[in-house]
Amino acid sequence: MRLSSIPCLLLCTPLLALAQHKTDGTDQVVVPQVERREISVPHFPSNDFELGLFAGTYATQNFGSSAVAGLRLGYHITEDVFVEAAYGQTKVSDANFRQVLPGGVFADSKETLSYYNLAAGYNVLPGEVFFGSKVAKASAFYIIGGIGSTNFVDQKRQTFNVGFGARLLFSDRFAVQADVRDHIFSLDLLGKRQSTQNPEVTLGVTLFF
Amino acid sequence: MKIARLIAVCVLLAAWAAPSARAAQPAAPDSERLQVNDAFIELHTGPGRGYPVFFVAERHQWITVEMRHTDWYRVRAEGGQVGWVQRQQLTNTLTAAGTTKGFRDVLLDDYLARRVEVGASWGRFKSEPMLKVWSAYRLSDTLGVEATLGQVQGLFSGTDFWHVNLNVEPWSDQRWSPYFGVGLGKFNNIPNNSLVNATPVNANLANAALGLRVHLSERFVARADYTLYTALVSDAHSSEYRALTLGLSFFF
Repeated sequence: MRLSSIPCLLLCTPLLALAQHKTDGTDQVVVPQVERREISVPHFPSNDFELGLFAGTYATQNFGSSAVAGLRLGYHITEDVFVEAAYGQTKVSDANFRQVLPGGVFADSKETLSYYNLAAGYNVLPGEVFFGSKVAKASAFYIIGGIGSTNFVDQKRQTFNVGFGARLLFSDRFAVQADVRDHIFSLDLLGKRQSTQNPEVTLGVTLFF
Repeated sequence: MKIARLIAVCVLLAAWAAPSARAAQPAAPDSERLQVNDAFIELHTGPGRGYPVFFVAERHQWITVEMRHTDWYRVRAEGGQVGWVQRQQLTNTLTAAGTTKGFRDVLLDDYLARRVEVGASWGRFKSEPMLKVWSAYRLSDTLGVEATLGQVQGLFSGTDFWHVNLNVEPWSDQRWSPYFGVGLGKFNNIPNNSLVNATPVNANLANAALGLRVHLSERFVARADYTLYTALVSDAHSSEYRALTLGLSFFF
């Protein structure tokens, strides 16, 4: 009896192995027919960047005011905070000095003043402007300040600027903005170095993209 | 020199063209239909909390997201009303597939995928005022490259400079995170016309910087850095300058 059971067991071992293999769990009994859904993440168009042209009046201390024009590139980081880089240019005349000093102050009667600056702005008063009783357009009043450089009569001077402005959005892409800015830099033109205040008032158009 | 410039232009053009080429392959939808799952969401007349709420879309209504301005999304309601909804209000909406995952994931992915940072700093270079802007790209959590463009405005001369740095930020997951960087670039010193016999000086520069970044909010980082500049004026002569600046940067 014992002797006969051994070969019987030996015969059964491959079967046992087979049975073990079947209950291993690595082979899936039911293969689900799931179709993989292709998820394409939506990419919403945005308009955080702005590009603008502006023109207005720049009042150079001691020299009177002159027409200024420039351009700006901005980026809106949050609903409140935005940053912008601006470049502007104006032609300053020393005609007032030439009336009393025949030689004037400049070599030519007109000198180009150019500036660039980096500024950060904060929208303090978001609101709406009403045109009649049916149409309302979004607007914002902002304060702004920054640092840059002014190039005037071969002097490159570090320039601080502070100011405020208002932006009126006619559509999601287009705005008109008015800006008042004081440019503060030191200048050595009239015999001694002095800090000058140079206010600027401009009106500009802005495209958001 | 010309060839190097040409290569640089080509690389820039390639970098400019790459994202658009990628975008062209699978047309990602530029709007998405969502179902309101909160009690209601508020539509403002403009992209900001100060603009009045003029419409409320209730639970189970369908809305279409069309456009984004900062953290605000322009939404079209079933009835055709178009207004601006803040991001947080959209995180609980359901996508067309019935899951809440979609929109929230987009926002989280946006946050985690932030690699490009732009900032400006102001400070002292020796004792003269210095202004610099930089753009940084994160290669990994702890490593980044940074390109800087700056100007030092002295009383007697003005210096323009640029340099490219490799930055290491070992604890970039911390709110207060120190970093270290080294880089190479160029100085271009132009004396004011009032100086006699002064000539413009071009010199290569090497710099090592040690700084501290402080994450102020999700988008903003303040940073202070101390940089040691070495101007390699000639083979035999170099001069050193120390600069200390404070700045603010933000993620795109």
